[in-house]
Amino acid sequence: MNRRRFFRAGPDAEADVRPTLLGVVTLMFLLLFFLLTTSSGQRLGVLDLRLGSPSDLAPLPHAGLVKDIAVTLRGPALTVTYTVQSTDIAAASTSVEQRVKELPAREGRPDLAALLAALEEVHDVDPSQERARFDPDDATSAETVIAVMDVIHGPQGSPLFPKIALSGSAG
Amino acid sequence: MRRRLFKPRPAALSDGLDVGALAPLVDMMTLLLVFLLRSYSTEAAPAPPEGRFELAGTVSEEARKNGAVVVLVSAEAVYIDGRRVIAVAYLPPELLVREVYDRLLLTRDKKRIEVHADRAIPWGVLKRVLHTARAAGFEELSLVAANTSSL
Repeated sequence: MNRRRFFRAGPDAEADVRPTLLGVVTLMFLLLFFLLTTSSGQRLGVLDLRLGSPSDLAPLPHAGLVKDIAVTLRGPALTVTYTVQSTDIAAASTSVEQRVKELPAREGRPDLAALLAALEEVHDVDPSQERARFDPDDATSAETVIAVMDVIHGPQGSPLFPKIALSGSAG
Repeated sequence: MRRRLFKPRPAALSDGLDVGALAPLVDMMTLLLVFLLRSYSTEAAPAPPEGRFELAGTVSEEARKNGAVVVLVSAEAVYIDGRRVIAVAYLPPELLVREVYDRLLLTRDKKRIEVHADRAIPWGVLKRVLHTARAAGFEELSLVAANTSSL
């Protein structure tokens, strides 16, 4: 019986891929031109804010170990103040302890690396605490305020204190 | 007799355009495109009509949301949705800025405010604008900065 082969064995002439590649390159040039003309090199990032106000109702106390955290910026010096539950948190009557970390300026600028280390330490005590208060000096530039807020917020994947309330006190 | 440097040859016989030479070009273009698509943005940042304006940098990757009132605070003035409202030099010492408040009341159909502030603006100025926005009934406030991973 004579069997017919579906695929003929034998050397094929190699197809010329150059026109295809040139077509791809041309398409990419067009796409590149389109992108450069319609877009901007500056991407924007948004930081959500909460502003404290004297008329606000006091928030319910946090159930975890760290009750509140405040970052204060006076000149280039940072201070981290936090309140930690020092007795059994399930007890009806408990006591709290206020701890303060002073972070002096480094080369005339706020020491953001030390702030990150201090906040990570606080976060390790109570990872469920998400709120922090930030009280910048009136003379602090927007750039420094945002840089400190970035540190308080923490990395995108594993945030430290993503709910930042900015100080509402006047003066 | 003049000697020709480049001898014309039929295109089919040309070995100048080799596949091996085109492949790195395609790779390079692909990398460039991926880089541009990652770092470029289609939304242009608002800018004041006069003066220098430079946003502060942030590592936040959170994107802007639509339908927000854009408040721009430059070194010279405060602008709301592109209109100049008050010069920074004339801002009152109080937290509530009447001119900004009145203008914001006209945009109450929107619920969100985005504040674009020049990097050198002191917090004392920014604070007054933010508090006025809150007093005008805007609960959702956000600061907009330039992503540091962009160009």
